[in-house]
Amino acid sequence: MLRQVSGALARAGISLLAISALAFFIIASMPSDPVMIAIRAWNLPATEETIAAMRLEWGLDLPLPVRYLHWLGDFVVGDWGRSFRTGDPILAEFVWRLPISLTLGFCGLVLAIVLAIPLGFAAALHPRGIADRATRILSIGVQAVPSFWLGLVLLWVLGVQFKLIRPFANDWSSFAVPIALIAFHSLGILSRVYRRDLIGTTEQPHYRTALSKGLSRRQALWRHGHRAASYSLLAAVRSEAGWAIGSTATLEILFGLPGISQFLVQSMSARDYFVLQAYVMVIAVWMIVMNATITFAQRRLDPRAR
Amino acid sequence: MKPAAALLTAAFALLIAGGVWQPYDPDAIDMTARHAPASFAHLLGTDNLGRDLASRLMAGGWRTALVILSVGVIAFVGGGTLGTAAAMLGGWREALILRAAEMFIVVPTLIVALTVAALFGLTPLSAGLALGLAGIGPYALLAHSLTRRTLGLQFVQAAEALGVERLRLMTRHVLPTTLPLIFSYAGSQAGLSVVAYASLSFIGLGADPSVPDWGSMLYEYRIFIFDHPGLMIWPGVAIATITALLNWNFDPGEPLRPGSKRTTVRLSDV
Repeated sequence: MLRQVSGALARAGISLLAISALAFFIIASMPSDPVMIAIRAWNLPATEETIAAMRLEWGLDLPLPVRYLHWLGDFVVGDWGRSFRTGDPILAEFVWRLPISLTLGFCGLVLAIVLAIPLGFAAALHPRGIADRATRILSIGVQAVPSFWLGLVLLWVLGVQFKLIRPFANDWSSFAVPIALIAFHSLGILSRVYRRDLIGTTEQPHYRTALSKGLSRRQALWRHGHRAASYSLLAAVRSEAGWAIGSTATLEILFGLPGISQFLVQSMSARDYFVLQAYVMVIAVWMIVMNATITFAQRRLDPRAR
Repeated sequence: MKPAAALLTAAFALLIAGGVWQPYDPDAIDMTARHAPASFAHLLGTDNLGRDLASRLMAGGWRTALVILSVGVIAFVGGGTLGTAAAMLGGWREALILRAAEMFIVVPTLIVALTVAALFGLTPLSAGLALGLAGIGPYALLAHSLTRRTLGLQFVQAAEALGVERLRLMTRHVLPTTLPLIFSYAGSQAGLSVVAYASLSFIGLGADPSVPDWGSMLYEYRIFIFDHPGLMIWPGVAIATITALLNWNFDPGEPLRPGSKRTTVRLSDV
């Protein structure tokens, strides 16, 4: 157990290092000079001395690998640099904004799992029933329709036609609607994966034994199929986690939520590359934490899995 | 030709034709014809600046087609080559390629594309390049597992036992089996890249917002939701139609069964 955990930690660390190095070298090789951007952003006099002093302060004259190590050292101890645009520390911005983005992604995924289990179960219990057809249409439909457009249509229907919510008003609905949209997208795939595994159970001999013992189909399916199907459900959640964090970007823009993706977009118009680097790192950490959590949960469900 | 394939071909012809000819200049501002209703002169009406909506959709369709093609070519060639090479070479080179491919799956495709677009600006080609490069990881893993499985098939082993050399074995027996499967995977991924490009241009990232991309049109027209909802309906319908056609053509719609003949990688893994 301990060896597995330390091995997983080591692999996660190597992944993070590789991603950070790649992002750093690509961003550092951009033609635009951060000193000139800062001088313009802060209205400093563009004299030789200022430029030279700033280059020295930021260590821009050093070779690239040394700069990467400097950056890495600062990043690990929490010095993520300052935003050109606001002048505030980038870490503080992320600490303030991250809960908003995480709430969206996490609540959406949890809601999708909570709904996918009863829906998938009903679909497996009654093949070709209402739940089966509905989840099938849902899983095909959501792949074709971008969630931010669905959000716009929802705003139009709920806000303009029925006047239930106020579009772009930054009230409770600008949280509830994006969470529902994320859940809706993942629900289609999750419920189908869960259903497929339950159907697989019904073809097993031990399921027939359970039926012959006198269990009803519903009881037998729940007692003997749910655990195995949860395992595949979690595997599907793993791939949905990346989607959830990506789609929160469009939904944050649409609903005007001050999450990390909105910060990135605002920073990019000011060519604030330190923010981009920090953003990539935050997303990579989120993905690695999600992967580790799901792997751990899967191992609890099925100790045979390696 | 199956109906899905015929419709998809027609849609693609329409997208390409839309890049060559539009009834109006998609950027021509006509303040006397703002928010004109649908008519014979303007089939879908005009927008807030009097630009013809149908022309803008057609120009956006051409840009979307460029993205689909460049993503497909880059991911298909790059991932296919790497994955097949990994399976044929074996040993530490195989392990190295697979580890590298797995590492790049960690960061979601859209985030990679977002990063590249933030650095190089958002054009159909930069987005296609970014989405294609981000797709190399999963394509390589898919190509690898398909190739491994094909190498284990009896007719391939028989050919190997007869002394067919590696290169010829690959071109004669392995690639004809794996390439159609990788291609159909590429088709099912094309719908995702349409949505991803729309998302990128919706987010914008400081790109020129007046460029007629379907996503940036949705961003621009979202504020007219109260008075002119038609403006934001049509670009969405265009995205959904193209994506649905691509998915219908290449994807059975179900997540593939584990151990099924086609692949071991589920389409939802990406």
